[in-house]
Amino acid sequence: MLLAQQLMFSFFKTLTDQVITVELKNDLSITGTLKSVDQFLNIRLDGISVEDPERHPHMLAVKNCFIRGSVVRYVRMQARNVDTTLLEDATRREAKEGKK
Amino acid sequence: MSAVEAYVDQTVQVILYDGRVIVGKLRGFDVRTNLILSDCMEREFSQDQGVEMVPLGLYMIKGDNVALIGEVDDEKDAGLDWSEVRAEPIGEITI
Amino acid sequence: MDQLANSTLAEPLDLVKLALGERVFIKLRGERTVTGILHAYDAHMNLVMSQAEESIHIVDVTDDGQALPPRVEKREVEMLFVRGDGVIMIAPAP
Repeated sequence: MLLAQQLMFSFFKTLTDQVITVELKNDLSITGTLKSVDQFLNIRLDGISVEDPERHPHMLAVKNCFIRGSVVRYVRMQARNVDTTLLEDATRREAKEGKK
Repeated sequence: MSAVEAYVDQTVQVILYDGRVIVGKLRGFDVRTNLILSDCMEREFSQDQGVEMVPLGLYMIKGDNVALIGEVDDEKDAGLDWSEVRAEPIGEITI
Repeated sequence: MDQLANSTLAEPLDLVKLALGERVFIKLRGERTVTGILHAYDAHMNLVMSQAEESIHIVDVTDDGQALPPRVEKREVEMLFVRGDGVIMIAPAP
C-alpha cells in the first residue's frame, strides 16, 4: 500500500521550493512555494496568496499553510519544472512493482 | 505531519471541511491532525455584515474536519479591520 | 482490440498504462472533465497531465427555479496534478 503512494510523494518532493497553486475541493486556490510534502500528500506552502482575494479574503493574514492532502482537487505547476520522460518511466516501473 | 510542529504555540487559522474558520493558539496536534487550540474564536464571514468574532475558548478539533491550517501573521492580522470585511463563507469541501 | 488479448492487459490500470504519453479524457466529480497528456498515475488514480484543458459544466438556475441552458467554463493548465479521489473515469481522448 505504501508503495502506491510513493510515486506521487516522490514527484512532489521534486517540486520542493517551486511555486505551485493548490486548488482545494472548496474552490479555494492558493499559490505559494512548496516547502514540504508527506506520504499523505499533505502540502506545506510558504509565502502564500489566494487566487481570488475578493471572493476569499479569509486568508489575508495567513503567511504560510498546511493543506490536508484529502482536500486537494488539483495542483497546478509549471511544465518546465517537470521531467515527463522520467515521470512516465517511474510510473511504468511502479506499475510493474505493484503486481509482485 | 511534522510540518505542523512549526505551528505549535503560534496563532493559527484552521479551515474546516464545512467552511468554518477558527483562529486560536495551537497547543498540540497528532498524526491524525487532531488539534488543540486555546483562546479560539470562530470568524463568521457574511456578505451582509462584517466578520463576526465568536469566542469559543479551548477547543479540540477532530482531524477529520480539518482542511487547512494557516499560520497567522499577528501584526498583519491586528492591522486589518475585519469588521469591514464582507465575503461569502468559504464553501464546503465537496467529496 | 488485439491488445485486449495480450496477457499484459490483466487489470483496468493496465489500460491506463498504455495511455502514458498519450492524450486522455477524464471525467471528474463536480461536472468537470479534463483532457491532457498523461505522464503519471498510481493505484489511487492520482494523475499528472500536461497541456491540460479543464471544462466545468455549469447549469445556472434563475431566481424562479428555471434551469438555463448548460454553459461550459474552460481553463488551460500547462502541468496539472489531479487527486485520484475525484476521478470517475479515464478514456483515450476522442
